[in-house]
Amino acid sequence: MKKLLVLSALAAMLASGTALADTSDKKIAFSNNYAGNSWRQAMLDSYAIVTKKAVADGVVAAADIFTTADKEVPTQAAQVQNLILQGYDAIVINAASPDALNGAIKQACDAGIVVVSFDGIVTEPCAYRVVVDFKDMGKQEVEQMAKFQPKGGNLLEIRGLAGTSIDDAIHAGILEGVAAHPEFKIVGSVTGDWDQTTAQKAVATILPSLPEIVGVVDQGGDGYGAAQAFAAAGKPRPTIIMGNRQDELQWWKEQKEKDGYQTWSASIAPGVSSLAFWVAQQVLDGRTDIPHDLLVPYLAFTQDDFEAALPKIPKGGVASHEYTQEDAIAAIKANIK
Amino acid sequence: MASLRLLLAKPWIWSFIGAALVWLATVTFTGGYGGGGMITAALSLAVFTVIVGVGQMFVITLGPGNVDLSLPANIGLASAVAMKVMDGNDQMIAVGLLAALACGMAIGAANYLLIWALRIPPIIATLSASFIIQSIDISYGRGLQIKPPPGFADFANRQILGIPVLAILTVLFTIGAAIALQRMIYGRSVLAIGQNIRAAWLAGVNVGRIRFLTYTLSGALGGLDGALLAGYFRGANVDIGNEYLLASIAVVVIGGTSVAGGKANVPGVWGAALFLVLLLTMLNTFGVSAGVRLLLTGLIIVGVITAAGGQKALR
Repeated sequence: MKKLLVLSALAAMLASGTALADTSDKKIAFSNNYAGNSWRQAMLDSYAIVTKKAVADGVVAAADIFTTADKEVPTQAAQVQNLILQGYDAIVINAASPDALNGAIKQACDAGIVVVSFDGIVTEPCAYRVVVDFKDMGKQEVEQMAKFQPKGGNLLEIRGLAGTSIDDAIHAGILEGVAAHPEFKIVGSVTGDWDQTTAQKAVATILPSLPEIVGVVDQGGDGYGAAQAFAAAGKPRPTIIMGNRQDELQWWKEQKEKDGYQTWSASIAPGVSSLAFWVAQQVLDGRTDIPHDLLVPYLAFTQDDFEAALPKIPKGGVASHEYTQEDAIAAIKANIK
Repeated sequence: MASLRLLLAKPWIWSFIGAALVWLATVTFTGGYGGGGMITAALSLAVFTVIVGVGQMFVITLGPGNVDLSLPANIGLASAVAMKVMDGNDQMIAVGLLAALACGMAIGAANYLLIWALRIPPIIATLSASFIIQSIDISYGRGLQIKPPPGFADFANRQILGIPVLAILTVLFTIGAAIALQRMIYGRSVLAIGQNIRAAWLAGVNVGRIRFLTYTLSGALGGLDGALLAGYFRGANVDIGNEYLLASIAVVVIGGTSVAGGKANVPGVWGAALFLVLLLTMLNTFGVSAGVRLLLTGLIIVGVITAAGGQKALR
């Protein structure tokens, strides 16, 4: 009889899906390992906006942000251990390494703390991972390119930080896209590290030796640098896929006004931090049906809507999107198969 | 023949030979296509390494343990300071450049203050200073990219007959630096301190003043480099100087300057900077993957240093 009661309670919980346990006394910490670029700044801003409101509304008791400055694993591991001791109920983390922090993450889980990682995810099974569908993003880049360059031609690929899962996923998606569109051929590949300066330098060194390029497929943060490198080398401007940075969209707008230039822009929204926050809140809320690996969509802009978004992006910053609790519930639902 | 042997005895010649070989290999690979464009690109990019390389060279020449590890952070902060002062306004270009120079000089002077007043070894002093500088930069620039005024960006990208204007100006600057090193009291004092700090002091060299000037010079060149980088890459950011930690030291060593101090030369910095960019050009053109590229870069640098250091010791 007792068992039946528990089961039916569980069933009711699964059915309703929300607010069983109260989270108003829960404390959520955010462990971040770097703040030195525009993407990370936007990530922190989005997180602060969403969590401040959540605390004011009494959804959670506290949502504190802790940033270490140096991208180092040991510093962040020590930080996570401190957060465990400080008695937080959940830790949202952008990790310095996918596996080197697993020890500290396991300690947190063992202490009954919910861990939600995003962007820089952790592989420790007890943690949740909010992952953007980068492979689809790479594939979409080639799909979009086929629209702008229907005749096909040579492509230049700019890769991201070597060895990261994100670089591998986008690259795999691009290869898949090129396989589906044999009219395109990747004739050159350089490493841009998602950084304008690095990308510009890399493209400048390879451009003199390349045949005519019709398009550049990249990973975000590198489009503006690529455009500068083509201009500096006196080469014709190709279709460059953009990555939601303000300078990229601004350049796109200038080109569009000049001669109707067309392209497409996509990247992971820095505000995915706020989505991770809501996922943590949902787990604390008592939901047990949330998959540990959550695939969430990327943020894309097209020829029709990028100009509307441009004024909202801080100068020199990156487009973001603040997620709501409903967004998180919808994203979780989409991942329950 | 005798002049050739004389030329080969110069420690800096190896970096130019390396650069030429790498360029030839790349041009052979492309069947002669794009050789000129590669040199233009190499010149435009090498300029930035040369400027900080010269500063680093003077510091390293002061003798064992002397090195400026604060250059990347210095470049990042100065790039933000320059762009904020210019504020997209062509009239403010000169003021912005001066602000970047002043910012760099202040950092250099602060470095020496740490080394002198607190007796911290230069490696630790400049490295810890770079953490402080970077934190200032993050709170000052908020991690945003700040754009240069159009006139400054055009200037940084301008070319005459395929030769970047910045490269021409930098050649003039390095000629001045070479004269300062070999013919002026300041440069001779730096060399003397590097060879034997005690002997230099006994000979009446004002060791403290020269070391102070050298760290300040290195800081100033880092600041100038930050402003120019922000102009060329059209935007200041915290990470813009990151690669110049290794690069500034590598060009000094590949260029034939002694890591032990007391022996330096300016032309080698140019040869080595061109070599590093052309090496990247070659590996990118060959299409090797990122991992292999890093591996080959490391191996080739070791090879060139070994070849350049192969000459007999003179003392």
